[in-house]
Amino acid sequence: MGTFIQLVVDGLATGSIYAALALAIVLVNQATGLINFAQGGMAVLSAYLAYASVQLGLPLILAIIIAIVLSFLFGALVERFLIRRFERGDPDTAVVVTIGLLTLVTGICAVLWGYNNLGFPSLFPLTSVEILGAVVSVRSLATAVTIVVIMVVLQLLFLRTKLGLALRAVADNPASAAFSGLPVGRLLMVGWGLAATLGAIAGVLVAPQLTLTPGMLDTALVYALAAVILGGLTSPIGCVVAASAIGVLENLVAVYVPLIGHDLKIAVPFALIFVILIVRPQGLFGRKVVVRV
Amino acid sequence: MNAAAATARRPWVRILLAALAAIVLIVAPLALPAFANQTLVRIGVYAVAVLGLNIVMGYTGQVNLGQIFFVGLGAYVTAYGVNHGWNILLVFVAACAVAGVVGLLVALAAARLGGLAIAMVTIALPIVGVPLAKRLSEFTGGSQGISARFTDAPDWSGLDNDQWQFYIVLVVAAAAFLLARSLVRGKYGRAFAAVRENEAVAASMGISPYRTKVLAFTIASIFGGASGFLYLAAVQYTSPETLSFGHSISLLAAMVIGGAGSIAGSLLGGAYYVFVPQLTNAIDPNLTTVSQGALLLAVLFLLPGGLVSVPRVVRRLTRRTGAGRSTGRRSSAGPVRETSQQTAPAHRPVPDDALEGHEQTERQDGP
Amino acid sequence: MNIRKKPGGVLGIVAVTAALALSLSGCRGDSGGQGGGGSASSPGITDSAITLGITTPLSGATAGPGKCTVAGVSAYFGAANAAGGVKFGDGKTRTVNIKSYDDAYDPQKSLANFQQMVSDNVFAATAGLGTPTNRAFRDAAISQKVPQVLVMTGDPLFSDRKQSPWQLGFVPIYQNEGGAFGKLLAKSGAQHKVAILSQNDDYGKGYVAGFKEAIQGASNISVVGEQTYEATDTSVDAQLTQLASSGADVFFNAMSITPLTIAALQKAQQIGWKPSWFLPSNTSSPTAILEPGGAAAYPGIYSVSFAKAPQSPAFAKDPDVVKFLDELKKYGNYPDMPAFPHCMWSYMVGATLEKAFQNMKEPTRDSFMTALRDIKDLKAPLMLEGTSVNTTVDGQPAVSSVVVQKYNGKGYATAENFG
Repeated sequence: MGTFIQLVVDGLATGSIYAALALAIVLVNQATGLINFAQGGMAVLSAYLAYASVQLGLPLILAIIIAIVLSFLFGALVERFLIRRFERGDPDTAVVVTIGLLTLVTGICAVLWGYNNLGFPSLFPLTSVEILGAVVSVRSLATAVTIVVIMVVLQLLFLRTKLGLALRAVADNPASAAFSGLPVGRLLMVGWGLAATLGAIAGVLVAPQLTLTPGMLDTALVYALAAVILGGLTSPIGCVVAASAIGVLENLVAVYVPLIGHDLKIAVPFALIFVILIVRPQGLFGRKVVVRV
Repeated sequence: MNAAAATARRPWVRILLAALAAIVLIVAPLALPAFANQTLVRIGVYAVAVLGLNIVMGYTGQVNLGQIFFVGLGAYVTAYGVNHGWNILLVFVAACAVAGVVGLLVALAAARLGGLAIAMVTIALPIVGVPLAKRLSEFTGGSQGISARFTDAPDWSGLDNDQWQFYIVLVVAAAAFLLARSLVRGKYGRAFAAVRENEAVAASMGISPYRTKVLAFTIASIFGGASGFLYLAAVQYTSPETLSFGHSISLLAAMVIGGAGSIAGSLLGGAYYVFVPQLTNAIDPNLTTVSQGALLLAVLFLLPGGLVSVPRVVRRLTRRTGAGRSTGRRSSAGPVRETSQQTAPAHRPVPDDALEGHEQTERQDGP
Repeated sequence: MNIRKKPGGVLGIVAVTAALALSLSGCRGDSGGQGGGGSASSPGITDSAITLGITTPLSGATAGPGKCTVAGVSAYFGAANAAGGVKFGDGKTRTVNIKSYDDAYDPQKSLANFQQMVSDNVFAATAGLGTPTNRAFRDAAISQKVPQVLVMTGDPLFSDRKQSPWQLGFVPIYQNEGGAFGKLLAKSGAQHKVAILSQNDDYGKGYVAGFKEAIQGASNISVVGEQTYEATDTSVDAQLTQLASSGADVFFNAMSITPLTIAALQKAQQIGWKPSWFLPSNTSSPTAILEPGGAAAYPGIYSVSFAKAPQSPAFAKDPDVVKFLDELKKYGNYPDMPAFPHCMWSYMVGATLEKAFQNMKEPTRDSFMTALRDIKDLKAPLMLEGTSVNTTVDGQPAVSSVVVQKYNGKGYATAENFG
C-alpha cells in the first residue's frame, strides 16, 4: 500500500510538470485558435533568461519577474510579427510556423548557452515531507500547488472577466469581434503574451528538477498536448486533471502491469485518450463544438 | 492565363516535357558524381513518404503525425525479409502490405473520431513505436538496429552502387508519383477534397467521409511502407531512431514547405528534408538548429503556399506590377479568380489569402 | 471545387530536376575514395596535410557529449599543428585538419555525412558518438575501405576485426565497465543484495550483462530487483520506489542521463533508501551530478574510469590536466570545464591517432590501419594509473582497462576493495 500511495504522489508530481505547459497551450488555443508547438521552447527560453539574470547576480525572485516580463513582450511580439501573417491562412501552415519557431528558439538557446545541463536554483528548499505515508519533496508539492492556483486564475479569467470574454470572442470569430469594436490585433498579442508568461512560470518551476538544457521540455510537450486534448482544448481544469491522471496512471500501469512495464508505459496516455474520445469527443471537460453546415 | 501556361496545356507539349524529364532522370545518374546520386536517392525516399502524407493530410485534410511510423515499419519489414533471403519483389510487396494493413486497422478505429483525436492517435504511433521496436528485438534487432545490404549493383549491370540505388528509387518513386497523380485526379481525389472541405456536405453528396478517410489513411501508410523499403535500400540500416516522433514533425514541415496538397510539392518537400541538414552542415555544423529554424520561417514567410507556389507567386507579382493602378481593385477580386484557376485543391482558405487577409486585418486594426 | 490539371506541376518537376542536376553536376570521375589501398596515396592526404572527419550529434539531446567529441580532438591537433605539425612515419610533417558534421543522432543523417565526407576527400572518419549513428555507415565504410576508427561507442561489433575490418572502437565496451564493478563486488566476500536500474538500450543492456557475468557463481551476491527506464523519461521515481522496496544494499545504475541521475540520488534518500551506488563513467561527475544529488548521504558511490577528471581537486594541478584545459579553450572552442568525459576521451583519441600517424610507413589507409592496430601500452595524456591504450587485441577496443573508483567527498580515488 505504501508503494501505491508513493506512486500516486510521484505521478501527481510528474503530472504537474505536464500540466504547467498544458495550461499555456490551452491559453494560446483559447486566444488564437492555434496549437503552439513552440510553447515548450519559449518556456525554456524564459527559464534561460531567468538563469542569465541569476548569473548576473540578481536574486532569484527578481530574475523570475524579469523573465516573466520579457516573456510577455516576446510572446506579444511573436504574435504580431510572425504568427499574425498565418492566422487567417491554412492551419497546417500555421502549425508548421510554430514548429519553425520552436526550432529557432531551441537553436538560439543552444548558441547562447550551449547544450550542457545547467543547474537552475530552486525557489523551494530541497527537503521532503510525509503525506499519508508517502514521501514527497517540498519542491514538487509547491509546484503542484502553484499549478492549481494558475489553473483557477485561468478558469476565472476565461469565464468571469471581460478580458477573457474578449479573448475568446477574438479566437472564435475575429470578424465579428472586430465589428463589435474589439481591438483584435491587440487582444491577440495579449493572448500570446499571457501564454508566454504562463510558459515562463512553468519553465522556472520545472527547471530545477529537469536541469536547464535547450531540449528540456521536448518530452513534456507531447504529454502536455495529450493532456490538452484529453481534458478538452478549452478547459484549464480539464488539462490539469488530465495531466495528473496521465502521470498517475503511467506509474501505476508500469509497476502493476509488468507486461507493459516502464518502456511501454508511454502508451497509457494515448490509450486513455482513445477510449475517452470515443465516448466524449470533446474531451473530459471540453465544450461540445457545433458547426453549422 | 498567360501565353506560357496556355502553351503548356497543349497535349504534345506536355508529352514532350514528360519525355524530356524521363530522359534526364535516366541519364543523370550516369553523369553525376556519386554524392549527388546518393543525395537524390535520399530525396526520393522522403519524397515518397511526404507524398503519402500529402494524400491524407494535404488532400483529405486529416492530421497525420505518424507517417514516419509507417516508414520505419516498412524499413523493418524490408530488413527482416532481406535477412531471411526473400525475393526482393516479395520484400517490397510485404513492406507496403504490412504498413498498409496496420494503417488500415488504425484508420478503421481512428477515423470515427474528430480531427484532434486522429492527431493524437497518429502521434501515438511513433511514440509507442520506438519502445516497441526496442522490445521486439528478435524481429528488429532491438536498440542496436538491423543492417541489410541488398542494393549493391549486380555485376551484369556494370553500374556503381549509387547508380543502381538511384534506379531502384527512381522506379519505385516514379510509380508512386504517377499512381498518386491518377488517384487525385479521379473520383477519389474529388472525394478527398469533398471530405476536406466539409464532411457533412460530402455525406449529403453520397460520399462516405468515414470510408474516404480510411482509404486516404491506408494509401498514406502504403506509401509510407514503400518509402521504408526505399529507406533501407538507401541507408541499408534501420534502428528505432528511424521512426522517432521528431522526424514526423520534420516530415510535416517538409510537406508544408514543399506545398500541401500538391504532387510536385511532395517532391520539393522531400528535397527540402534532405537538403536542409546538408546545407546547414556546410554553413556551420555547430549552428544547424538555428539555421534550420530560420530557413523554415523564411521560406514560409516568403512562400506561405510552399515552394511549389513559386511559379504562381512569380506570375502574380509580374501581373501586379504590370497592372498598375487597377491592382487595388484586382487584388480584392483576386482570391475569387485565383480560386477558379487554382489547380491544387483549394486550401481551406487560399494561401494567397494570407496576404490578402493580412491587409484586411490591418484595415480593421484601427486605433 | 476545381481540381484541374496543373501545367505548373510537370513544368515544376522538370525545372527542379534540371536545377538539381545542374547544381550537383561535376565530373563523374574518381571523386572521393573508391578503394584506398595500394601504394598511391589515399584520398584525404597530401604531402602537407591530412583531413579527418567527425560525424557526431551537435544538436539535440546528445549534443553535450557530441560537442565534446569534436572539442577534444580539435584541441589535441590544434596544439600539434601550432607546434609545427605531426611527423608521419613516411618522413613528412603534416597538419591535421578536422572536419565536423552534425548528424543530430539520426542514422540517416550520419550516413549522409559519411557520403559527404567521402565526397569532401576525407582520409578517415573518427570519434563519432553513438551506436546507431556509427552502425548506419559501417557497411558503407567497409565497402569503400574508409577507416572508421576510435569511435565513441561501447558496441563490441566495432572491435571485431573479422566483421569490422576498417573499424576500431575507442571506449571500453559497456560489458567491461559493468564487469569491473561486478568483480570488485564479488571478491568482497560479504553478502550483498543488488538492485539494478538500466537504460533501455544497448548501453544499459551491455552494462548489466557485464555485471551479471562478473558476479556469476559468486554466492554472496544476489540480484533482487531489476528495472529499466527510457532515455526520454521525465522521471524515474516509480522505478526507484519499486527498487527501494526490494531492500537491496547495492544499487547498480546504468544511467547516462544527467538530470535523471541527479533526481535519482535525491529521491532515493528522500524515501529512506541508502544503498551503495554504482554509476557509469559518463554520469559520475562530482560537480555536475554528485553534489547536486546530495551524494554524501550514501555509504559509497563507485564508478569506473580511465580518464583523469579535471573537476576533481586532486587533479587540479596535474600538468596533463592544465595543458588539456588550456588547449581545449584555445583550439577546441570549449571554454568551460568539460561537462562530459567525452572531452577527455576524444583528446586521448587525438593522442592515439598521432601515434598511428607516427608509425604509418606510407600515406595510405591500409598502412594507417596497420599502424593503428599495433599500438601497445600507450599512456595517452589524461589516462589514469593502471590504464593504457592497447589496440593489438582483436575483439577489444583501444581502451579496455578501467579502474574502479570510490567517491571521497571531493573527487574519486581508486578503490581496491568494496566498502
